[in-house]
Amino acid sequence: MLSRVAESLFWLGRNVERAESIARILEVSYTRAMDLYSRDDGRYERLWRSVMQCGGFVAEPKPSAPGLAAHEALAHCVFDRGNSNSIVSAIHVARTNALGIRAELTTELWVVINVLYLSVEGQSLRSALREGPARFLRRVCESTQALAGVADATLSHGDVWRFLQAGRFLERAFMTARMLQAIEVEHEPWHESQRLLEMCCASEPFVHDMRFVPEPRDALAFIALAPDCPRSLRFSFRELGNALHGISDNREGTFGTEPERRLGKLCARLDFASADELFAPGVNIFARATVAEIVALSGDVETAYFPRLPIGIGNL
Amino acid sequence: MPRLRRNDRPRAAPATGGRTHASGLGVDPAYARATQYDELFLPDGSPREHYAQLMATLAALPRDEILARVQSINTMLLQRGVTFTVYAEASGTERVFPFDIIPRILTTAEWDRIDRGIVQRVRALNAFLHDVYHDERILRERRIPREIVYSSKSFCAEMIGVDVAGDVYVHVSGIDLIRDENGTFLVLEDNCRSPSGISYVLENRTVLKRGFPDVFRNYEVCPVDDYPSRLLRVLRHCAPAGVSQPNVVVLTPGIHNSAYFEHTLLARRMGVELVEGRDLIVVDNVAYVRTTHGLERVDVIYRRIDDDYLDPLYFHSESTLGVTGLMNAYRAGKVTLANAIGTGVADDKALYPYVPEMIRFYLGETPLLENVLTFDCTNDVQRRHVLDNLDKFVVKNVNASGGYGMLMGAFASAAERTLFAALVAERPRDFIAQPTIQLSSAPTLIDGRLSPRRVDLRPFALLSDSVEVPRAALTRVALREDSLVVNSSQGGGSKDTWVLQA
Repeated sequence: MLSRVAESLFWLGRNVERAESIARILEVSYTRAMDLYSRDDGRYERLWRSVMQCGGFVAEPKPSAPGLAAHEALAHCVFDRGNSNSIVSAIHVARTNALGIRAELTTELWVVINVLYLSVEGQSLRSALREGPARFLRRVCESTQALAGVADATLSHGDVWRFLQAGRFLERAFMTARMLQAIEVEHEPWHESQRLLEMCCASEPFVHDMRFVPEPRDALAFIALAPDCPRSLRFSFRELGNALHGISDNREGTFGTEPERRLGKLCARLDFASADELFAPGVNIFARATVAEIVALSGDVETAYFPRLPIGIGNL
Repeated sequence: MPRLRRNDRPRAAPATGGRTHASGLGVDPAYARATQYDELFLPDGSPREHYAQLMATLAALPRDEILARVQSINTMLLQRGVTFTVYAEASGTERVFPFDIIPRILTTAEWDRIDRGIVQRVRALNAFLHDVYHDERILRERRIPREIVYSSKSFCAEMIGVDVAGDVYVHVSGIDLIRDENGTFLVLEDNCRSPSGISYVLENRTVLKRGFPDVFRNYEVCPVDDYPSRLLRVLRHCAPAGVSQPNVVVLTPGIHNSAYFEHTLLARRMGVELVEGRDLIVVDNVAYVRTTHGLERVDVIYRRIDDDYLDPLYFHSESTLGVTGLMNAYRAGKVTLANAIGTGVADDKALYPYVPEMIRFYLGETPLLENVLTFDCTNDVQRRHVLDNLDKFVVKNVNASGGYGMLMGAFASAAERTLFAALVAERPRDFIAQPTIQLSSAPTLIDGRLSPRRVDLRPFALLSDSVEVPRAALTRVALREDSLVVNSSQGGGSKDTWVLQA
């Protein structure tokens, strides 16, 4: 496969996943924040600050008047074109990447991407507020999920699909790690761990899996380690590994490329360490280190498959 | 709907009045004034025989239903990304290529004549290209003035003496035809570089079938979707000698090119890689693509990039669209380019008047498709006549295409005519003039009624060891009233074009 095509697929996967994650984080938080709306004990602002952190935004929402923090987060995380992490930016980048590799995508997949793009382009903060932010955000989630489904159902499951998967699950692990980093469970353990589970679509699977009345700390462990929860760190890493091994044709459990080696170490840690061990230095600290590893891993993928410099004659 | 007998076909719009209607749709009273040949209506307002069933089908559909389906087709085109880029507007303007739902129908007999004429013309054009880059027989025998060939901007001296695979220069061409007042097809211009439009042919058929399945009733329309496989066969056929399983790629300038949609569609349907210049690298005269598993050899490049941008070593040195060293690989015969480099000299508008001569010279045949009468501005007598009668002429810059750089004398302002007169006097080699021709019209759905709009026809020809003309032609339509310019950049749209099966 062309290096350029691989690169575009990777970033298409990452940006669609990012749009979906941000949309769900906002949707869940917006709904939860309604319970805190009339409080002035700082919990409302704290919640929105963590939302901003999940998206990688450093800006502090100004606590000027109740409700404004929510609007500001929406303006920044959804509609700010100057911010590369916002939903409109992510969808714009995804669509631009898709356009550049239009010949590799099925018409069905392209149409879903294009319709998502056209619908988001036609929205503004005002129209989203009029419609109700939760409804608008839900639609973004549904469209991005439909996109993943159409990709699975119509793309040939060769390298095109694998690079898309690699981008998708790398970004998913990244966003999940970000959420673990931003969550402040010590202040209100139950509410915040519940919000974390919902942001990862995992509240019902979690309850279902637990054979006892769970503690908030169990929720954190679930998000990091549940082998079958599709948004857990462990699951995301495993899918990423499947994609990378499929691309390189190296046997699983071995490594032949730098991204496989780094990912193997991350997986081994999650496979063989207990939650207590992982979280010993503090959940946020564990998550921050994981985020850094994922950033490095993304760089490894780029160097291995779409290096900036022309491939030398040595590769002939 | 009952099958119609010959003599109780519904009467379509009479040419006068326009109050009765051919369907739920009214007919524009402009038809009463029409003097041009109309594709559908006879002068008395009844439809031509091969359109009668179509009109009957449309008549059975309520107007609102038709308009709603048109709307859904437009949405479909936008969502499928069937758009083009307009260069004059703000960067990145994507527009749906307007599609008119009333198909243009060609009978088997009409198509046969077109087919034979185009086969003949393309054979002659290809022979001419081989000749001007090798023996120059036609120049030595003074059938074409040497200076017109050498002064052509598209003449490529680097191609002199270069042998191309199979002696094929114009693998793909598009020959633009129009119809005069009598309905006779004439060649308006040849496109021997990289003619576009086939993607609209394919998409138009797809959306018309989805939106108006009923109109296909009782017609046997030749399918168009075999074009990509025919193209792939032609491209594989012209691989460098000794390559049995050639690696074919489509080379695009990228997403900002106005025909990018077409490049993606052809690559997708042929199942080959769509590459940009930066994906290619030439090492020791061999072209490779950069893949995730290292470099992979390329044998045939269907390039949709102009000559000037192909290789910065030979052409525009600042261009980043092309591939360094590609020209050397090509001249060494290690990679095939389709079309060949330097084919533009054959469709230079100043050489167009000589194409009938090429047919006589190389094939010893009489041209089956006539040219439009054309005045050579380098000839003093002809130039004077043109300048004295500018309001009756269409003046075209030989170096421009897409409807840019031309003067429609009859519609131009005095100032525009003065400007062109000065340009022609200063650089006569750069201009040709043709009397304003009445293109044929076809009924087009405008504001909910059928209005006469001018159309042309672009059949595509594929050349390997023989010429084939797939029954997939593009009808372009000038959507502005009375406009004679059908180019998409000038407000043109297109129609689905049916060739009926024998």
